[in-house]
Amino acid sequence: MLSPNWHRALSLFLLISPHVLLGVLAVILYKRRLYREFPCFFAYVLYEIVKFIPLFALYSVQGVTGKEYAYAYCVTLLISIVLRFGVIDEISRNLFRESRFLKVAARRSLQCVTGLLLGVGALLTVYAPGGNSATWYAGIFVVNRGAAMVQSGLLLALLLFSRFLGLSWRRPAFGIALGLAVLTSLDLAMFALRAAFTSEAAADFVDLLITGTYLVCVSIWMGYSLAPEPEPIASPAVLPHDEVETWNRELQQLLKR
Amino acid sequence: MITQPIIGAWTFVAIAFFALGILVYVAIRSRTRRLDLEKAIQAFRSLDIEAFRNLVDSGEEAFLRESLSPKKFREIKRQRAWAALIYAWEAGRAAAALAKIGQAAQRSPDPEIAASGVQVAENAFRLRLQTLGACLHLLTEVVLPDLRGPSLPPLVDQYERTAETLFRLGRFSSRGQGLARPKSA
Repeated sequence: MLSPNWHRALSLFLLISPHVLLGVLAVILYKRRLYREFPCFFAYVLYEIVKFIPLFALYSVQGVTGKEYAYAYCVTLLISIVLRFGVIDEISRNLFRESRFLKVAARRSLQCVTGLLLGVGALLTVYAPGGNSATWYAGIFVVNRGAAMVQSGLLLALLLFSRFLGLSWRRPAFGIALGLAVLTSLDLAMFALRAAFTSEAAADFVDLLITGTYLVCVSIWMGYSLAPEPEPIASPAVLPHDEVETWNRELQQLLKR
Repeated sequence: MITQPIIGAWTFVAIAFFALGILVYVAIRSRTRRLDLEKAIQAFRSLDIEAFRNLVDSGEEAFLRESLSPKKFREIKRQRAWAALIYAWEAGRAAAALAKIGQAAQRSPDPEIAASGVQVAENAFRLRLQTLGACLHLLTEVVLPDLRGPSLPPLVDQYERTAETLFRLGRFSSRGQGLARPKSA
């Protein structure tokens, strides 16, 4: 078991470091002009930084009660959930933008998946409400758990669908999708535990895991936004003339069969 | 004592980690996967369109139904449907590879190759989705061989259209213009 000092130090590190990295990420997104391509994600990053300042102030100030902090936390959490849905929509638009056919067909399939996941999420919220605690913030954790399930399901569907179709991702889009998918998947697990185990010790431990997960996800976003896109290689190296001729011959034979 | 909410919570944890496992797999595969023209050619070579057409031909099926005993017909129908299913599955895999090639061509500085790339990718996406429908259809035939279903001409047509555009793309590329490597994650 961690001593109170170590626990506080670790909590502070896990609270502050992702938001410092988010600041760096915002600068990278701005400098590489990725905010034009992903405005919703850029807004989400800025919002996460801005929301941290009052929350951290409330966390640090002595006179603020746990209930007051919980109110503020839950309101900001609900806005984050809405913004994440916006980011997912933005990623799917970006992924299908080059194909007229997929813009219609794939987005329709995704809408079906969304409907299905929303239905399952609503059912689970009603029939698996988590712990026996009647506190309102336990209810918020259940709502976030449902949202995390819908969001991770959508992102998973998007990743699997693109793999099935042979769609090529751009690096930043893939990074955003992967980071958000990891975040929402682990949110699903953590908030399910948070709703079920309401003791102070369990809550402290799960909170540490939630902030630790956030640090991992921000690192994924940073890594993919810094990674350069592979340069297009001219044909002689990748697609030599004789290889193209072989390709032609193969296809001619196939068509004549 | 383990209560119901706690079992529920651990179920969510299990679902989350299952999703996470798939994510890690997809991420690793996406990094190691590269555009392989040779494989795409081999995939195309392995597909005999006439054999597939013969396997799903409704006239051929009607002839077999008349000539064979019901038991023998069911056995043969299952085998034919299974073989056609494997063809459709492989065609789908080839279509996914073609989609990648098409998207790479789409980024070519040559407008002619880029336009062809768009066509290849679009046809490949269509073919990929159609093969999914065809596989389900053929799986139904494997399970229920007596069921009289429609033939599969759209899949064959789609395959031929894709092959034709791919052939055109190959002809454009052979002029020495560049195909870009796809910007995979």
